Amino acid sequence: MKERLQQLQNDALTALRSSSSLKELQALRVQVLGKKGSLTEVMKGMRDLSAEDRPVIGQLVNQLKDQFEEVFKLRQQQLEEVEIAARLEREKIDVTLPGRTAFAGSLHPVTLVTDEIVEIFSRLGFSVEEGPEIEKDFYNFEALNIPRDHPARDMQDTFYINDDLVLRTHTSPVQIRTMVKQPPPVRVIAPGTVYRRDSDLTHSPMFHQIEGFLVDDKVTFGDLKGVLTHFLNEFFGEGLKVRFRPSFFPFTEPSAEVDIACVICGGKGCRVCGGSGWLEILGCGMIDPAVFVAVEYDAEKYSGFAFGMGLERIAMLKYGVNDLRLFFENDIRFLKQFSN
Amino acid sequence: MIVTYNWLKEFVDFDATPQDLCHRLTMAGLEVDALKEIGGDLDTVIVARLDEVVPHPDADRLTLCQVNTGSEVVSVVCGATNHNAGDLVALAQPGSVLPGDFKIKKSKIRGQVSCGMLCSEKELGLAEESPGIMILPDGLPLGEPLFKAMGWHDYQIEIGLTPNRPDCLSLVGVAREVAALYGQPLKLPQPDLKEVSDTVASQAAVTIEDAEGCPRYAARMIRKVKVGPSPDWMVRRLEAVGMRSINNIVDVTNYVMMELGHPLHAFDFRYLEDQRIVVKTARDQENFTTLDNQQHRMSPEDLMICDGQRPVALAGIMGGLNSEVQDDTETILLEAAYFNPTTVRRSSKRHGLHTESSHRFERGADIDMIPFALNRAAALMAALGGGEVLSGTIDVYPRQLPQRTISLHADRVHQLLGVRVEATTISGLLQAIGLEVQTGADALCLQVSVPSFRPDLEREVDLIEEVARLYGYDRIPVTMPVGVVDARLPAPRQRLQKKLRQLLVTSGFSEAINYSFIAADSLSRIGVAEGDERLAQVPILNPLSEEQAVMRTSLVPSLLETVVRNLSYRSDDLRLFELRPVFLAQPDGSCQERLTLTAVLSGRREPEGWAQAAAAVDFYDLKGVLESLLAGCGIADSQFDGSRSQPYLHPGKSCALSLKDGQVAGYLGEVHPRVLATYDIDQPVYLLEVDVEILLTLADVTPAFVPLSRFPHVSRDSALLLDEGIPASEVLERLNRNRAKIVEDVTLFDLYTGTGVAAGKKSLGVRICYRDMNKTLTEDEVARVHDRMIQSLCKELAAEIR
Repeated sequence: MKERLQQLQNDALTALRSSSSLKELQALRVQVLGKKGSLTEVMKGMRDLSAEDRPVIGQLVNQLKDQFEEVFKLRQQQLEEVEIAARLEREKIDVTLPGRTAFAGSLHPVTLVTDEIVEIFSRLGFSVEEGPEIEKDFYNFEALNIPRDHPARDMQDTFYINDDLVLRTHTSPVQIRTMVKQPPPVRVIAPGTVYRRDSDLTHSPMFHQIEGFLVDDKVTFGDLKGVLTHFLNEFFGEGLKVRFRPSFFPFTEPSAEVDIACVICGGKGCRVCGGSGWLEILGCGMIDPAVFVAVEYDAEKYSGFAFGMGLERIAMLKYGVNDLRLFFENDIRFLKQFSN
Repeated sequence: MIVTYNWLKEFVDFDATPQDLCHRLTMAGLEVDALKEIGGDLDTVIVARLDEVVPHPDADRLTLCQVNTGSEVVSVVCGATNHNAGDLVALAQPGSVLPGDFKIKKSKIRGQVSCGMLCSEKELGLAEESPGIMILPDGLPLGEPLFKAMGWHDYQIEIGLTPNRPDCLSLVGVAREVAALYGQPLKLPQPDLKEVSDTVASQAAVTIEDAEGCPRYAARMIRKVKVGPSPDWMVRRLEAVGMRSINNIVDVTNYVMMELGHPLHAFDFRYLEDQRIVVKTARDQENFTTLDNQQHRMSPEDLMICDGQRPVALAGIMGGLNSEVQDDTETILLEAAYFNPTTVRRSSKRHGLHTESSHRFERGADIDMIPFALNRAAALMAALGGGEVLSGTIDVYPRQLPQRTISLHADRVHQLLGVRVEATTISGLLQAIGLEVQTGADALCLQVSVPSFRPDLEREVDLIEEVARLYGYDRIPVTMPVGVVDARLPAPRQRLQKKLRQLLVTSGFSEAINYSFIAADSLSRIGVAEGDERLAQVPILNPLSEEQAVMRTSLVPSLLETVVRNLSYRSDDLRLFELRPVFLAQPDGSCQERLTLTAVLSGRREPEGWAQAAAAVDFYDLKGVLESLLAGCGIADSQFDGSRSQPYLHPGKSCALSLKDGQVAGYLGEVHPRVLATYDIDQPVYLLEVDVEILLTLADVTPAFVPLSRFPHVSRDSALLLDEGIPASEVLERLNRNRAKIVEDVTLFDLYTGTGVAAGKKSLGVRICYRDMNKTLTEDEVARVHDRMIQSLCKELAAEIR
C-alpha cells in the first residue's frame, strides 16, 4: 500500500506539474481526490490494514493530500498567470487611435476678454453695470460734456436713429446712468457693444468696449495710474512696461492715453506697433467736473477717474489675432480656437 | 497738423534730434502719428556734373552723357534736350526708387550703357509738370544727395491733434510747445512792412451787422500786385505741410495760416461792389457759389461776408467765386477776422464744407492774432507780388472776448494729481507756454491770465491738466485708491447670461457675434408676414449700406447667414449661438432691447471619427439642448406646443416653448425647406430661439436639494400600444398626474411603429423607476403600484399592453 501511495504521489505530482491548463488541472484534482479518484480507490484498502499500519498510512495519505494541494495551488497560480497574460495579449488595442470626442463649444474671444477683465476689476471692488445700445443723445454726448455743436463730436462718427437717439458710440453713457441713480462712492465696470460709422480693415462699425470708473473723495490721478497699471500687469503679465501720456476726452480732465510696451516685439519696434515699440491700449482721465454737474455730484467734494478700452483690440493683442474682421465673420474655424 | 523740423527751428532754437522731438511732443500731449524724412528715400539721387554731352550714336532723340559723380564718371543716356556739358544735374543712381515706385536700374539703351537717370522735377515728385531735366544751380558739391545739397532736406512731423488744441494748428503754436519743452524762448517772425501813404480807410469800409457771429473783422489793402507763381521755397514749404501751391497771393494767405494759425482771405477788390464789406447773416434760400464752383442754398443761420450788394464769402469757411483772386488781380482786400465757433461749425456741417479755415474757426481762432497776421501777410504779399501796402488797418471790433483770469491753488493740484508740485514750479510751467501768472497774499494761490490763443483753458481743472502734462505724467507717483468698497455680486441678468453661455458651450456650441444691423428685408426673406411685431424695425438714419440699414428684431437671419458662410468653407458640423439683444420699435418712438438667445444646429451628431456614428442631428438633439438649458436655469413646467410655430420653421417639426402661465418664451424646430432653399443651404438646420427676458423672470440658478434614499430602486418596463396621434407628452403627463409616492422617475425608453404594430398605432416603451425613502420595496408592492399606474393610463388613453 505504501508503495502504491508513493507511486500515486509521484504520478499525481508529475501530472500536476505538467498540466497545461486550468481545466486540465481541475480534472486532475477530481481524478486524484474525487469520489472515484485514485486516492479514494487506494484509501478503500485502508480498512484492511492493521491497527499499527493504519496511522502510518493515514499520515502518508495526509501528506500526499497536502503536497498535492500545495503543488496544485502553485500550478494553478502559474496557469492563471499564463492565462491572464494570454488574455491580455489577446485584448490588446491600438491606443494610438484617436479617442471618442464630443463637439467642443467655445465662447467668443470678446466674451473671454470681457470675463477676464471683469474678474480682475471685481477683485478691486468694481461692480458690473450695463446700459442700452440705442442711447439718448443726452447720455451719449450732452451729459459727457460733448455739446451738440462741439468739434469733439467729430471724434466719433455716429449712427443716428433720430435727432435724439443714437447707437451709443462708447460705453461712457453707463457712467452717467450709474451716477444719476447712485451716490458716491462708486466703482463700476461696464462692458458693452458700441457703434461707430466707420468700416475698413482696422475699423468695424460695431465693436465692444469696457468702461470703468471710480468716484470717491480724495481720488487722484496717481490712483488712476495705480489701478490701470495693476490691471495691465494682471492681464498682459507682470513687469509689462506702461506709460501714460496726455490726451483729450471731453469728459475727463486731465486726460491720458495709456500705452503698453508692444506685446509682439517687446518694445523693439515692429509692424504691429508701427515701429514705435508702444501700443495704445486705452484712454482714461480724471472725470471732468462738468460731468459731475450733469449727474448732480458735488464736484468740490468728490473726484474720480474713468477709463475705456476696445475689447477687440485687447483680444487681438492677447491672442495674436491679426484681422479685426474675424471677430464678426463667425467662421467656426476661428471660434473653435477659443474652446480651451 | 503737419509741421517740419526745420521750419520749427525758425521759431525756437532747440537742440534735439527729430526723434527726440517727436517723443517729447507725444509725451506732452501732441501725439506724433508719423515722422518722415523729406527726400530720405531719395538719398541715392545725387548732384552730378555733365562732363560731356554727345548725340546717341544710334538714336536721334537721345543724348549720351558722361556724368561726373565726384568719385567716378559714368555714362547715362538721356532723352531731354535742355542740358549741356558743364551743367549740374540730379542723377538717380541705379537702385534708386523714384516716386510712383519707379525703380532705376543699370541698363542698355540702344546699345549704350546707361548707369542711372537724369531726373526732371516731375520724376522726383517736385512738380506736376516739368519741361526738361533739372538743371541745378552752380556750386553744389558733386556726389551730395540732392535734397541735402539743395537745402530741402527736412523732417515732416505729423501730429494727431486733439480738438481742444486749436493753438497748435500752426507752426508757431507747436513751436511754443517746443520752446516750453526745451526751455528756450519763442521767436515770432518779424514782418518787414512798408506802407504807402494812402490809407485803406480811404478806399474801403467794413460794417459788422452780426457782432455775435463776428466779434472782430479787420482788413488791409495791397495794390499793384502781380499774381504769379510762388517762389520755390514757398512752394516746398506748403507742400511739406500738405498744401498745394495756387499762386503767390493765395499761397501767402495759406502760408500765414500755417505759420500763425489764423485763417485769412484775399478778395479781388475790384469785384467788391460799393468798395465795402458787410458781415451779416444770409437771406433765406439765397444762392451762393463758393470758389470751388459749388452752389449752395443759404439759410438765415449762415454768416456771410457781403460787399455792398451781395455775399462774397461764406464767413470763415470759403470765399466766393465772384470775388476770388485771378491772374489779373491787382488790388487785394485782405481779411482777418474772428468768427463764432458754433456759427462756423453749423454752416460747415450744413453745407458739407470742411476747410482748413473752418477747421480752425470752429475750434477757436486767436482773436488777438488778427493785426499781426494781417501785417505778416501784407508784407509777404508785397514782397512776393511786388505790390504796395496801404497804410493802416480797418479794424472793426464790436465785441471784446472776455479776458480770462483763473485762480489756481497749489493744493488743488496736489489733491487732483496726487503729487505735490511747488507753486513756483507751477508758475514756471504755465509761464513757459505763454500764460501770465501772479501771486497774491497767499503764495499757494496763483492768478493765471490766459492768452487768447488758448480758448480751451477756462477752469482751474484745465490749468491743472496743463501743469500735469508739462510736469510729466510719468513723474506722478503710482498709488492705489483708498475708501469704502461696495462690491456686489453680478446682477441676476449677468448671472443668467453667464449660465446660458456656459450651458451652451458644454453642449458643444460656439458663440457667434453678428452685427446688430441687418438689411430691411431680412425678415420677409425668412417669411415673417405683415402684422408681426418684428417688422417694427428701428431704421438707422445714416446707415453704411443697405445691408446694415435696420436694427435687428430677430437673430435668425444673421445666424442663417453665418451658417451659409461656414458651409461655403466646408464646415458642415455647426453648433452656433448668439446671445444678444434685439431691438423692437415701440409705438411711442422709443425702442425696446430684449436679450435673445438663438442657436443653430446642423451636421453630424458627433464629430467624425473611426468609432463614431455618422448620424446627422435631428429635432430631438436640439430639443435636448433646450431641455438642458431650462434645467440648468432651474426652470420646470416647460411645455412644447406643436400647434404653434414660426413661418421659418418646418410646420411638422417645430413647436413653441411655453413656460409658467402659458407664456411663450421661444420656438424650436427644423428650418423650413423653403427658407433653406432661399439661403441655398442643402442640409437640414435646426434652430431654437428663446426670449431671455422671460427666462430671467423664472430662472432660479440656485440648485434645490432633494433628500436621497439609501434603499435600492426597482424598475418596471411596459410596452403600450396606442394611437399614433397621441403625443408622448400626454402619456408622461398622465403618468405624472397619477404618480404614486414611490415613483422616482418615468422614462420613455422606446418608440416603435412597423411590423407587428397595426397601422395608425405606435408602441411606446415606458420605464418606471420605484424607490422608497424609508425601506426596501418588495416585488409585490412594486407590481401592484406599477399595474395600477399602467392600467389607469390604458383606460384614459385607450391603450393596450403589448
